Order: sequence, then C-alpha cells, then structure tokens
Amino acid sequence: MSGLQLYLILGAAVFLLGLHGLLMTTDSIRRLIAVNLMGAGIFLIMVALAGRISPPDPVLHALVVTGLVVAISATAFALRLITAAARVDSGQSAVPDKASRLASKSESDVAEDSRP
Amino acid sequence: MTYALVSLSIPLLSALALMLAGARLSNRNAGIMAIVTSLLSLGAAWFCLLDVAAANQSILLNLGGWENGLAIRLRLSPLSSLLLLFTAFMHVLIGIYAGFSRRGVSRDFWTLSSLLHGSLAALWLSADLFNLYITLELLGLTAVAMVALAGKKAYKPAANYLILSLVASLFYLLGVALVYGRYGSLDVVLLGLQTQSDTTTRIALLVMTAGLMLKAALWPLHLWLPAAHANAPTAVSALLSGLVVKGPIFILWLLWSEVAPVDLAQQIGPVLAVAGMIALVAGGLSAMRSPYLKTLVAYSTVAQLGYAMMALGLLMAWQLPQMHVALWLFVIAHGLAKATLFLAAGEMQTTLGTKRVSGLRGATQTVPVAMFAFAVAGGSLIGLPPSGGFLAKWVLLEPMLSSPQNWPWAFGVLLGTLVSAAYIFRVVAISFDRARINPPDVRPDRLGHWLALLPALMVWGMALIGEWLIEFLSGGGV
Amino acid sequence: MTLELMPDIVLGALLLLMAWGALYAPTRYDAMALFVAFGVVVALIWARLGAPDLALAEAAIGAGLTGVLLMQAARQLPAEASVTGKRMPWFGSSLLFLVLTCAMFAAHILTDSSFKQAGIDASATRLLGGPTVPEMVTAALPNSGVSYPVTAVLLNFRAWDTLLELLVLLLALTGVRQLYPGTPQHPRANTASPPQAWPVLLSWARFLAPLLVLLGGFLLWRGASGPGGAFQAGALLASAAVMLRLTGLLPPLRWSSFLLRLAVILGALLFLGVALASLAFGDGWLVYPTQWAGALIILIELAATLSIAVTLSLLVIGESEDLSS
Repeated sequence: MSGLQLYLILGAAVFLLGLHGLLMTTDSIRRLIAVNLMGAGIFLIMVALAGRISPPDPVLHALVVTGLVVAISATAFALRLITAAARVDSGQSAVPDKASRLASKSESDVAEDSRP
Repeated sequence: MTYALVSLSIPLLSALALMLAGARLSNRNAGIMAIVTSLLSLGAAWFCLLDVAAANQSILLNLGGWENGLAIRLRLSPLSSLLLLFTAFMHVLIGIYAGFSRRGVSRDFWTLSSLLHGSLAALWLSADLFNLYITLELLGLTAVAMVALAGKKAYKPAANYLILSLVASLFYLLGVALVYGRYGSLDVVLLGLQTQSDTTTRIALLVMTAGLMLKAALWPLHLWLPAAHANAPTAVSALLSGLVVKGPIFILWLLWSEVAPVDLAQQIGPVLAVAGMIALVAGGLSAMRSPYLKTLVAYSTVAQLGYAMMALGLLMAWQLPQMHVALWLFVIAHGLAKATLFLAAGEMQTTLGTKRVSGLRGATQTVPVAMFAFAVAGGSLIGLPPSGGFLAKWVLLEPMLSSPQNWPWAFGVLLGTLVSAAYIFRVVAISFDRARINPPDVRPDRLGHWLALLPALMVWGMALIGEWLIEFLSGGGV
Repeated sequence: MTLELMPDIVLGALLLLMAWGALYAPTRYDAMALFVAFGVVVALIWARLGAPDLALAEAAIGAGLTGVLLMQAARQLPAEASVTGKRMPWFGSSLLFLVLTCAMFAAHILTDSSFKQAGIDASATRLLGGPTVPEMVTAALPNSGVSYPVTAVLLNFRAWDTLLELLVLLLALTGVRQLYPGTPQHPRANTASPPQAWPVLLSWARFLAPLLVLLGGFLLWRGASGPGGAFQAGALLASAAVMLRLTGLLPPLRWSSFLLRLAVILGALLFLGVALASLAFGDGWLVYPTQWAGALIILIELAATLSIAVTLSLLVIGESEDLSS
C-alpha cells in the first residue's frame, strides 16, 4: 500500500463518516459540519489523485480551490439561515443589541457562553 | 454561438448592475430593468434558435481557444437553444407577473431571478462535468435564497433545502472526481468515447445519479420538495417547479445518454423507469390527499417528474432516439403548465383568502379566469389532446404500443394519467360547487389572472408546432 | 507498512479522530472546536501531498473564517437537546455497520480494480491515446500569460469556472442579505460606540492584521509564478478584516455604500467584461490575446482578490445594519 492509496481510502472514509453524521444527528449545525466533512473527504480524494504524477496534476488542484470557495460560500449562507431560523423559532424577533454582540466576541467570552 | 453567449451574459450583467445600483433604483424600476433584460435575452435566444435550426447540428466551442480536454467546452445543440428560449420566456412571464400584479416582491427578487436565469443558461450550454457542478451549486443556492424571500416562516424549510442541496451536489462531485481519476477528462463528449463499464465507472455514475435525483426531487428522494416549493412566494414557486428542477434532469440525461457506456445504461434504465412509474402514482396520491392547494401543486410536480424519469429510463433501456424527444417535450410542457398552476393557485389563494383546497368552492364564479387557467393547464398535465402534455405522452407511448412485451409500461402511463386526472378533477369539481360559494376577500387582480392563463394557452399551442418541435429536437444529434 | 508511511498514518488517524469528534462530541461547542482542528489537519495533509495552494487556502478558511462563523452561530442558537435526537438506538448501529461495509467496499475498489491501474499508472488517463491533461497544461503554459500551472488553469484554461465561482460568492451574499430585510438605517447604528475588546487581543490584532494584509499582497503577487493567487490572498485579507472588525478597529462595512457594492461585484464585472470584450473584439469568449494575457490575468486577479476579500468578510461578520440596503 502506498501513501496515495492511504489518502484515497482516508478520503472515502471521511466522506462516509460525514454521511453517517448527516443521517444520525438532528442538530442543524452538526449536520452542516457533516456536510463539510463529506466535502473535505472528496477534496482529499481529488488531491490524492492529483499526486499520482509528479509534479501533481494542476487541474485537480485548481478544481479543489474552486470547490473550496463554493464550500465556504455555501457554509456561510447555511449558518446564517440556520441562526435566522432559530431566531424565528425562539420568537426573538429583534436582532440582539449590536454593541453587546460585538463586545462579547473575543474568544474567551465565546468559550464561556457556549459551554452549558 | 455568439447569440447564445449574449443570451447568457445579459442576465448576469443585469444581476451585477442590480446589485451595484442597490437602493438607488426603486423596486419598480429594478423590476422593469430585469424584465427588459430578460426580453433582450429572449431575443438573443430566438436568433440563436434560428442559427441552430439553419445549421441543424450541435456547435461546440472550446473556451479560451485551448485544445480539447484542456478547455471547458460549451455546446449549443438544438435542445439547449430551445431550453435557452424557454428559460428566457419563463423569466419574462414571471417577471411581468411579479412586477405588475398586486402581490409585490422585494428588490432582491430581481437580482436573484436574473442570477437564476444566467445560471440556467450556463447549465444548458455546458458540456464539462465540473463546470456543470458549479452551475448546479449556483442553481441550488439561488433556489434556496429565493425560498427564503418568503420571509421568516420559510427560513427553516430553506435551511433544510440548502443542506440537502449541498449533499446532493457533493454526491455529484464525488462522481466527477472518480471519473476524472479514472479517465483523466471532464469533457462530456470525450468521455463518451472512452467510458467502459468497470467498477469505478459504475460507482461514479451511481453516486452522481443519486445526487442528481435528490436535486431534482425524483422519487424516492423527493421528500424535501413540497415543503420548499409550497412555502416560497408564488412567483418563486413557479420558477422553482417550472425551471430549477429541470437543471439536474438535464445533467442526468447528459450523463446517461452520452457519458455512460451503453450496456451500463441498459442495465440501469429499467430501474429508473420503474422508479418513475412509482413516482407518478405515489406523488399523484399525495397530491390527491393534500388539504392545501399549493402543496397539491407541489406534489403534482413530484408525480409529473415521474414521466420524465420514465422517459429517461426507457431511453436508456431501449436506446431509442425518440425517447429524447418525449423527455424534453415533457419537461417543456410541464414547465409551462406548472407556471400556470402555481400562478393561478397563488392568485386564487390571495383572492379567496384561503390556502385550503376546500376553500375553492364556487371558484368558477368568483375567480373564473384563474380557475379556467388552472383547469386548462391541468388538462395538459393529464395529457388531454391536443395539449403539449398529450404530444409528449404520445411520443412516449408509440414504441410501447407497437410491441406487446412493452405493454406493462403503457399500463404505467395509463395509471399515471388516471391519478393526474383524479387530483386535477378534485380541484375542478370543488370549484363548480356553486351552492356554498366561498366569497372572495378582495377583488381579483385582472392582470395576474390573465398572466396565469398565458402559459396554459401556450402549452396547448405546442400541439400546433408539434411536428416541427419533434423534428427539431430529434435533429442534429441532440 | 514501511516506516516512511508513519507520518501519513498518524495524520490519517488524527483526521478521523477529529472528524468523529466534530460530529459526536458531547457539546456543540466541542464539536465546533474539533471541526476547526480538523481543518488544520487537512491543511497539514495538503502540505504533505504537495498542494501548498490548498494548504494556504484551507488554513485561512478552515481554521480562520469557518471558526469565526461557527462561533457566531453558536452564540445565537439555543442549546441542543441531544446529539442524535429521537433516532432509535438500533438505527445508529445498523447505519454504522452499513457505513463500514461501504468503507470496506470503497477500499476494495480503490486499491484493487480498474481504479488501481488508472490510479497508480496515470498513463491510463490518456485521452484517446493523446497527451494527458496535465501534459497539455505543461505544453500550453508558455502561452497562458503566467508561469504557475494552477493559476494558469484557474484564470486561463478554466477561467469560466472561476467566473461562475465568483458568482457563487455574490449569490451567497445576496442570500444572506435576504435574511435581514429592509431594516431602515437605525440612528443607533451610526452612533454605536466601538465595542470594548479584550486588550491583549486588541494589541495582537493591531500587530497581526497588517501582517496578514502584507502576506495577502505577497500571495497575490506570487500567484503568477508560485503557490498563491487571488483566492488565497482574498481569504487572508478577509481574515484580517474580520479580526479588525471584531476588535472594533475597522468601521462597519455598510451595504448602503456604493463603493462597497462596487468592490463586491468588481471581480465578476471585470471578468465578464473581459469575456464580452474578447467576444466582440477578440478571437472569442474568454480568449485572451497572447501578448496581453499576463496583464489581463493580473488585472482580473486584483479585482477578484478585492471582491473575494470584501464578500467573505461581509459573509462572516456582516451585521444586520451592514447588510440591509
């Protein structure tokens, strides 16, 4: 078994793990993470395939760069949609006060807020 | 080809201009601009169609002038020129409806619909698997953003729709990666000359098919569609059902009719055809039971896509060129009819102030034009002669009836027809109940109702040019 | 198994561990942190597989922007009831079994059948006996206007993909703007005092942000001849902007400003303009004249970098006041 094959299998494994997570979890954020894992698995397969020749296949690298842009755009949109949907669910119509939202964005604060 | 590229770039430019203008352009002017650009694009698409009809063959263009395999290739076939025209027409029509009927839309609708127009045009023209992936993502994101236009209550269905749509495109992308790994090419035409039915190709095609079926809401992966389509604003529902779900079907058709090796297509074809038959019946039954009008129309999309899938499956199984024609006639007839159904349903809902099917009592008297449009378009869905739906069904049935071993398929079509008739007549029958009329809340919006009727008349008009359409679609190697 | 595979095996095991944790960690916050860590491991793997462009892009996105996005979302969401919700207990194990079977099957096809021949001996990917696509790239590189093959593919050979990708970014932004409909300009928004950030973070941001901007510029410049390019530079610039914005050092980015809107669409507009101009006056859609190719690519990359940076930062940190028109 060569290193490339190892990465091919790893890519497939990450994809399938993501799929498993997608079917198993119910929280939208976790499902979104699952989708991102599936994407990462595919990119891994593509980059491993690019490494079959030396120097690596530039076309596959370019395709993955394009794929990454698409993935980050879609992820950002999805996260905003999920939070908007949750805001509607909790009946909290107004967006929280901007100053307070920004103020608590330093990392230590975020960590404390989100821990139950 | 130049006309096709112009037809493609006009809506994209218009979307960029609308974003740049922002609030400087009033909502109404933004709408007028979007409609005018759609009209220009429609004109370009018309000249493009004439070009193709004159050349009577597909035109290939290597972007950037690079050699085959290196460049992304665009292909203008008779089918893609027809789809360009169809897309532009639907945008003009629905744009006029959205801009001038009583139910207003927000400014961002115009940006999104222009982007949708551009992405669809890019999809019809593309002949490169990865490029198709990007157009697929564009299409999916536009559709989600448009569903979210309906406001707060639509955010949750939109979020679910987005996650499913992302998963579906990833399945497709996995297949693209495997295909490139196996054959070292992304070009549809080149791949068609190379593919063999080995394990990798099989897996690649199967994951791509699964992803595309999920995107197109083909049975059994259709469960997301009614929630998303029924929750969107009326104009958006019409665009989603009439156009957006057709994009993945186009790619599916491209994969199986060109990329896949013939023996593999022959193995998988019957499975798809059976799934299409089940979709026809299951979708139809759900439509029949649905208490809400828009959900009924959305389920009818699931059912009608069953015809398209059946035509595709039989095309793969029998390798008969006339199945191409049947498939695309179905797609266009369904697109027109569905535009009418959603516009009419939306108009009746607003006028009568109810979302329920049972609220349509006496609709023939209170909202006669919209109800007439609904019934006329429904007639095409059922396949009454001489509508476009009938034309498509006739082309589909012909080879089935000619040899006795194919009669079970004909039975499936018949069953589908009966179920479609049942849910359309359910609505029509209630509307004739003039004894207990549900009085309208507001005066009917004349323009909206007549606009809803227009595509229904066009789908019946398709029969007039039926012979030409069949010849055009079967010419030029599709 | 030879010793030289050890780093790969360790990276792989780490990757799977992070992936599992990102899905099934007991709290949502842990899951997010592990997902960010997953991004870092992916970047390492890409560096190891000889894809420095991707390693850069992944580091800027996976570890930076996605992290901020997730944390913001986490703060606005209610706590989740349970990880796997109402699913039956047997569902999980049978699904896991199915996934394992699929994984074994995948391992089988990837190592054992036709894929192996094609996979290990890339000569099987020749197009009908002609040269392979990477060979074509090498052959066409001198005429492409840049000397780095990945940039040449992105901005020249497959420029149409890149143009559509810029539209995807715009679309995501338009979609996000939908969610904050028509909030009128609030007087409070204009007078909001700069938020108080953690002092250490503040000084770090003052130091890091210019560095990121410099690095972004360097990457853009280097994209013509080495790893780097518009997207990596744009992502880095966006991280700098996000950091400055979060510490209150950058004024709000307002959609109502014409210049901002221009910056957002500039990349796609210029690209489309070049395509149309080449159609009208040149040899065809997206055919660059050879002597101008280099200059045109640099110009498009500059505009695209600006658009990507502004759009990504709006996507990540745009507040409702910023996004509504």
